[in-house]
Amino acid sequence: MSLHFAIAAVVSLVGALLAVTQANILHAVFGLAIALVGVAGVFFTLDSPFVAIMEVLIYVGGIAVTMIFAVMLSSVSNPKERESAGRRLLAALVAVAFFVGGALVIAHADFGPGKKLPPSAWGLEQVGRDLLGRFNLAFETLSIVLLLAIVGAIVIVRKESAMPANADEEAS
Amino acid sequence: MTLEGALLLGLMLFSLGLYAVLARRNLIGILIGIELMLNAANINFLAFNYFIPTDPAVAQIIVLVVIGLAAAEAAIALAIILKLYRQRNSVDVDAMQLLRSTGAEASNE
Amino acid sequence: MSSTSIGLVLLGAPLMAFFVALVVFRKNHLAAMMTVLLSGAATCASAVFLLATKGGTPAEQASRAWIHAGGTSIEFGILLDGKTLIMGTVVSVITLCVQVYSLSYMSHDPGRGRFFAFLALFEWAMLSFVYSPSLMQTFVFWELVGLSSFFLIGFWYRKPSAIAAAKKAFIMTRIGDVGLFIGLILLFQTAHTLDIQTLNTMSVATGNFDSGRIELITLLLFVGIVGKSAQFPLHTWLPDAMEGPTPVSALLHSATMVAAGVFLFARFHPLFMQAELTLTVVLCVATFTAVLSSTMAMVASDMKRVFAYSSISQLGFMLMGLGAGSLFAGYFHLTTHAIFKALLFLCAGAFIHEYGTNDTVAIGRAGARKLRVITLGLIIGGGALAGFPLLAGFFSKELIIHSLHDKPLFLAGAYLASFMTAYYTFRVIFLVVFPNQDSAVQVEEPPADSHDDHHSSSLPLHAPILLLTVGAIAVGWFGDSIASVLGLVAYHPSLPEMAPAIGVALGGILIAWFDFGRKSAPQTGFISKLAPLHTLFKNGWYLDVIYKKLFVGAAQAVAGLLFGTENHVLDKASDMLGQGTLTIGETTGKAQSGRLPLYIGLAALCFSGAIIALGLEMMR
Repeated sequence: MSLHFAIAAVVSLVGALLAVTQANILHAVFGLAIALVGVAGVFFTLDSPFVAIMEVLIYVGGIAVTMIFAVMLSSVSNPKERESAGRRLLAALVAVAFFVGGALVIAHADFGPGKKLPPSAWGLEQVGRDLLGRFNLAFETLSIVLLLAIVGAIVIVRKESAMPANADEEAS
Repeated sequence: MTLEGALLLGLMLFSLGLYAVLARRNLIGILIGIELMLNAANINFLAFNYFIPTDPAVAQIIVLVVIGLAAAEAAIALAIILKLYRQRNSVDVDAMQLLRSTGAEASNE
Repeated sequence: MSSTSIGLVLLGAPLMAFFVALVVFRKNHLAAMMTVLLSGAATCASAVFLLATKGGTPAEQASRAWIHAGGTSIEFGILLDGKTLIMGTVVSVITLCVQVYSLSYMSHDPGRGRFFAFLALFEWAMLSFVYSPSLMQTFVFWELVGLSSFFLIGFWYRKPSAIAAAKKAFIMTRIGDVGLFIGLILLFQTAHTLDIQTLNTMSVATGNFDSGRIELITLLLFVGIVGKSAQFPLHTWLPDAMEGPTPVSALLHSATMVAAGVFLFARFHPLFMQAELTLTVVLCVATFTAVLSSTMAMVASDMKRVFAYSSISQLGFMLMGLGAGSLFAGYFHLTTHAIFKALLFLCAGAFIHEYGTNDTVAIGRAGARKLRVITLGLIIGGGALAGFPLLAGFFSKELIIHSLHDKPLFLAGAYLASFMTAYYTFRVIFLVVFPNQDSAVQVEEPPADSHDDHHSSSLPLHAPILLLTVGAIAVGWFGDSIASVLGLVAYHPSLPEMAPAIGVALGGILIAWFDFGRKSAPQTGFISKLAPLHTLFKNGWYLDVIYKKLFVGAAQAVAGLLFGTENHVLDKASDMLGQGTLTIGETTGKAQSGRLPLYIGLAALCFSGAIIALGLEMMR
């Protein structure tokens, strides 16, 4: 089990490193996809296969692909230009400071004794019941949010002028 | 595999995401950082629920909701990025400074 | 008809005439004039009738409450006692004379309808003041009298000097009125009644007042009197008030309005009699004023100004008599002075109207003696003023001097003032009667700019002058009647007692003859040989200049200080506040760089710091 977790963790970390360091934004999106697959693996090792599958489906299959489309649609003039070294250094300092602080807290926190739940309480069936039972409101709200997001995204990207096709093509 | 290990992984992912948000000039790069941070949070939720359960499967549901919200957020964010690109021919966050203080009013007087 | 309803006619007629003349007959001057004249005649007749029927009987009062408040009611009405009957008669008779006179004098003035309306307003205010039974009515009409005086002095409102004089008169009397108002409030607060008759029965002895309080009240009332009756130091407005039409000078600024102050003193005579300190102050101020203004009258070249200074001096005389304790002396002089001073002003007005100049010398050289009736009026009136034996002023002045017999200092002042009075009066008379084209004196006053060639019909001009001339001769013999109306017994000084005063008056006339009357007289006066004194008198002891320097200068200095504070301190401060806010805004605005990564980075940094602190804390 630990081995699986370690592999998944390493995959996700490598992917994340790629995602944040690659100068080419397209490569960064690929890095993100790798990281997300690694995270899905972690979810799997945490006994949550359904969530892991959803992670892969939605993130890797949906979001990352959409990003790739977006990158391709917004062809930046100089996509390979790196940010200045000073900027990256400062950002790294902040991030490291955050990491150090977090690590200190984790290292010294007392989480108490863990205990395992029976698999039935952790299984897919339980998730389904809860999702449509106890947490039905969150579920339904989420569906409305998604609908609004889709409509909103269309409205935002839509051309202002009602003018026809050639303007459309020009933009894309 | 321990709780601390999972939390540390989450922390690392979050730090990398933070780094991306701060260092990237490309708006899509920033969005990538945000997605990483969201996933770091997801890992934490699951890890806590897995190792110190107080409620049977609530973390999985939270993660599902977060994934859904992330999808919505990404859709909107990408739409805005596209719109900005069309208007200003740029996705550089440093160029998005329309609301900055210029001191123009003071110099007029 | 009861005396109350006659009183209603008396007070109502001028008010109605005022409104009718001002509102209905705005354009129709003749109708306005006739309305006012009719009302004047009605008022005069009522006043004389009241005097004839009520004189000597106990006081009668009729009033209606206007407001009831807190146990006190503010009453308006009329009070008929000796003082009001005499004063009311004097006021209404002289008003009628002046109105008749104005028919001719103002006959070509484009604003004569308005002029008559204001005369009616003045008459109403003055009579309401005189017949007032309560403090409130007294004060209200005291102020209305001042207001109508303001209107009439500034009647020729296109003339800047007239406007300035009107403002000056209004403001100077206002200074006194503040004192009066405070005094009246204190009086009411102490006595808890507004009724004048009740007030006059109160005294320290009956425990209504303590002696300090009554000194304070009477002093404050005297401040008001000083303002209204043009006593030193508030006298400077009266000579300037001569800018108004001459009938106004005759009516308001010699005979009636300025006498309102003296009347107020007489009104509250019982109260003043209880205030030793105030009486001393009154005597000092009155004597000093009488002497001071006489010196100015000796050198004034403007005929009206001579008489104006003379009015101030004679008002001082009245106050001396009243202050010395003789109500009858002061009141008698008030009556006689009103008649002969009105006469003198009407004569002066006739000369000025005829020859278009105010300068006595110029009037004389132009042949004024040819206007025989007017010259006669001038001589009789002047004689009465100078205290020439057997004329009106002689008797009253004798009484005043007699009342001062135990106060040598003030007696000396009175002799000095009456000597100068005789001198300057006959200076004017001799300059008019014996003009000398070759004498050394210069014409100083410029010709009046408002002169026109309309020489007025003689009857309305002469009738009042003749009437008043007869009055100036006769009134002096009615001392006993006046005393009996007042409820007093007249004192008749014996001839030896009168001798010094007669001598002083005749001496003054003699020197005037030597300076102005005899052939080849220099006609410059002995004062002009003492150049500095002459200049000092001529400029009214520089009091106007001093006031200007002192009060106007001080006010301007304060204003300048405030202006400077406003400009350099407050304005600067608020400017700096605004500028500072802008600068702070600009400075802090720079933090709003619009650079999102910076914002997030700073937030994250702070958060990192917090977590590190938390972690270090948990390490312990």
